[in-house]
Amino acid sequence: MSLNRNTPPKIYSVDGVEYIEPKCHKLSNGVELFTMKSGDQEVVKLDFMFKAGSWYAKSRLDSMMAALMLQEGTETLNASQIANTFDFYGAQFSSNSSYDNNYVTLVALNKYLPELLPLVSDILRNASFPESEFEILRQKRKQKALVDAERVGLVAQRGFLRNLFGEGHPYAPVASPDTYDTLLLSEVKQHYRNFYRSDNMSIIASGFIDSEVIDLIATNFSQSWGDKASAASKDSYRLPKAKKSITIEKEGANQNAIAIGKLFPKQDHPDFPGLKLLCTILGGYFGSRLMTNIREEKGYTYGIQASPISFQQEGVLLIFAEVKMDKTSEAIKEVFYEMDRLTKELITEQELIPIQNYLLGRILEDFDGPFARAQTFASLREVDLDFEYYTKLIETFKTMKPQQIRALAKKYLKPASMITVIAGTNQQ
Amino acid sequence: MIAFEKITLSNGLRVIVHVDRSTPFVAVNVCYHVGAKNESPSRTGFAHLFEHLTFGGTKHIRDFDTPTQNVGGSNNAFTTNDITNYYITVPANNIETALWLESDRMVGPKFTKKGLDVQRNVVIEEFRQRNLNRPYGDTWHLLRDLAYKVHPYRWPTIGLTPQHIEEATMEEVKEFFFHHYAPNNAVLVISGNIDADKAFLLAEKWFSDIPQREIKSHLIVQEPLQTEDRELTVQRAVPIDCFYVAWHMGSRLDPDYYAADLLSDILSGGNSSRIEEKLVKGEKLFTEADIFLSGENDPGLFIANGKLNEGVDYNLGREKIVAEAMKTTETLVSAKELEKVKNKIEAEQVFNEIGYLEKAMQLASFEILGDVDLINTQLDHYRAVTADQIRLVAEKILRPGNKNTLNYLSLTK
Repeated sequence: MSLNRNTPPKIYSVDGVEYIEPKCHKLSNGVELFTMKSGDQEVVKLDFMFKAGSWYAKSRLDSMMAALMLQEGTETLNASQIANTFDFYGAQFSSNSSYDNNYVTLVALNKYLPELLPLVSDILRNASFPESEFEILRQKRKQKALVDAERVGLVAQRGFLRNLFGEGHPYAPVASPDTYDTLLLSEVKQHYRNFYRSDNMSIIASGFIDSEVIDLIATNFSQSWGDKASAASKDSYRLPKAKKSITIEKEGANQNAIAIGKLFPKQDHPDFPGLKLLCTILGGYFGSRLMTNIREEKGYTYGIQASPISFQQEGVLLIFAEVKMDKTSEAIKEVFYEMDRLTKELITEQELIPIQNYLLGRILEDFDGPFARAQTFASLREVDLDFEYYTKLIETFKTMKPQQIRALAKKYLKPASMITVIAGTNQQ
Repeated sequence: MIAFEKITLSNGLRVIVHVDRSTPFVAVNVCYHVGAKNESPSRTGFAHLFEHLTFGGTKHIRDFDTPTQNVGGSNNAFTTNDITNYYITVPANNIETALWLESDRMVGPKFTKKGLDVQRNVVIEEFRQRNLNRPYGDTWHLLRDLAYKVHPYRWPTIGLTPQHIEEATMEEVKEFFFHHYAPNNAVLVISGNIDADKAFLLAEKWFSDIPQREIKSHLIVQEPLQTEDRELTVQRAVPIDCFYVAWHMGSRLDPDYYAADLLSDILSGGNSSRIEEKLVKGEKLFTEADIFLSGENDPGLFIANGKLNEGVDYNLGREKIVAEAMKTTETLVSAKELEKVKNKIEAEQVFNEIGYLEKAMQLASFEILGDVDLINTQLDHYRAVTADQIRLVAEKILRPGNKNTLNYLSLTK
């Protein structure tokens, strides 16, 4: 059989995505339970979502510390008993905090749910915040912050967000590891009381979901708990005028980290799907313009990305790379050159079509398997969107014209609107 | 249980197919039995540099990435001390594009001077980003060099020094390809939403005409038995003192492997482990501490590490973790502890059965290791381990003279 390797095989395009809407059940306390059944392995993932992120916190680290303290003790169980139960049943328990919502997640074999769910319920309702565990955690997180402060990449990204949002903003990372010394256990616990309430929670269950699982969830999470409406309402923040360019000195750095970007539309904005495509062209995949120019042609960096980041209240464009020290200004110049080029030249079909197909493939991945679907559903709920958003995304990716892309670039990628943060040693 | 079928093509390429109907995708995963351990000591980092080079186009395909993107797929690769693994995932009906690409990589990449020049720079920037410009980034360089005196595990995959990468020549690149990237030195795994018969037919179609080649069987020198403890102290601009203590252990296929793995879990797997409960939370000696296996194919390392809490005496902290490990050479672990770590392994095994790409990678690495059936039978090996075996393996690994201590201290500013 003679094989022709010069001609590519026939290409089949991605036509659509099979969305399976989750089923919504209402528990007797009013909590919404969304279920997504799929898969043969008898594994279940439960995500308990609370509107309890740093956006809601009185001081910025309270939300993170509250999340991390959950498994450190309840009114009847100590940290060791809790840890032993999760470990004995091979379950993965995690409690994470973020900018807007916090998640408590359990991944476990179906057969152990009767033992595990009462424990999770106890943790959510009766966490006791023991002093000694709090001090251990404080030290641990402070040390981590000290190490992070030596990483130019993190320093640049965090400096970028602080510059953009202003020091006091809940989305701005704290400036100094010493902030950990000022934390008060009472306030961290108050954050838990205010926001880890049944009427501030929803549950997403994915994997091997049957009526038995749903009954178990109902049995364990149908009580009401927490003080009603004790949460302070958040005012909107007035954002400062960001500095155009900042250099954060890091002695002995081997590379400089650069963060370039601006405030940007968030996910619910009508321009967002188009901006997602635009950012992909610029720096959202391996063959992007920034990667081709700065990594593949010039070898100034190991990797460079441009991403639209959407919080609940604000959106950000972030272009980020760690670059050769003596090529820092050249790398920055090339970033601006590529942005500028998008505002002037029309993209060719030859470049655009593979990107459209690539993005359609990523959408397919967002719905590949129960856990991916649950993750996608949760991230849409974060910003009050539903699967309808994907219909719009697909349509945009398939139909957007080069003129429209250039118009978006003109509107949003003006080099003069960007701020630049460099961490490392400024050699300019 | 992961069901799979396996055949070997006439050119020696092993093909494994795993059907998973729960995904709209297929993965084409090609694993070459070559890694950093096959490098010459004067050209370390070469296998990884080579992995970068193969993305710069192949004999018949100018650009590797565009066709992948065009069919909605994505591709990537990684290099370890033992293997180099490439994968492409595509929506299932585009499987032929993935096979076309991966088979042409095996036919031969198109090496150009420019490609080599640029990828040298990219890899050196990777070296800087991950190892030189990051706190504790040179830990593995130091630890491997201390623990291994002759085995090529004494350098990490990124290489000993950026200089080795700078000096790589085109002739070396071509020779490396010829002797390692042959069908008879590789495993192809196709997993995902496809009929097994069709997958085998397509594998035959795209790979069977690639000629077998002579594999340069350069003998890997095994590490002699260590008889005296070693210690190295360095000072770096890092905020916190930490240490690594490494003991030599058996290979991945050594029957003792399972007991050693369970031992490390009893000591430090999870929040209820001994180290976490007694030393991190109880005595508050560390903010982080861990005991783990390096997990390589040839005889590897059993490693303890910790970051000291503020105000804790460095030597006291380090010796406490060693002493905690040493207790297992004398006292049997309890039945309950043993049951707990076995349950954890069992649950992890089930969690790992979700995800067609992960399964493809696991099948490939077990096949390269020499026993693909282990993917399903290893749980029985874990289940069979007794408390006595754990004590014996602890005694074997933690014996006097087998210890390598790296003291990684903060420079007082």
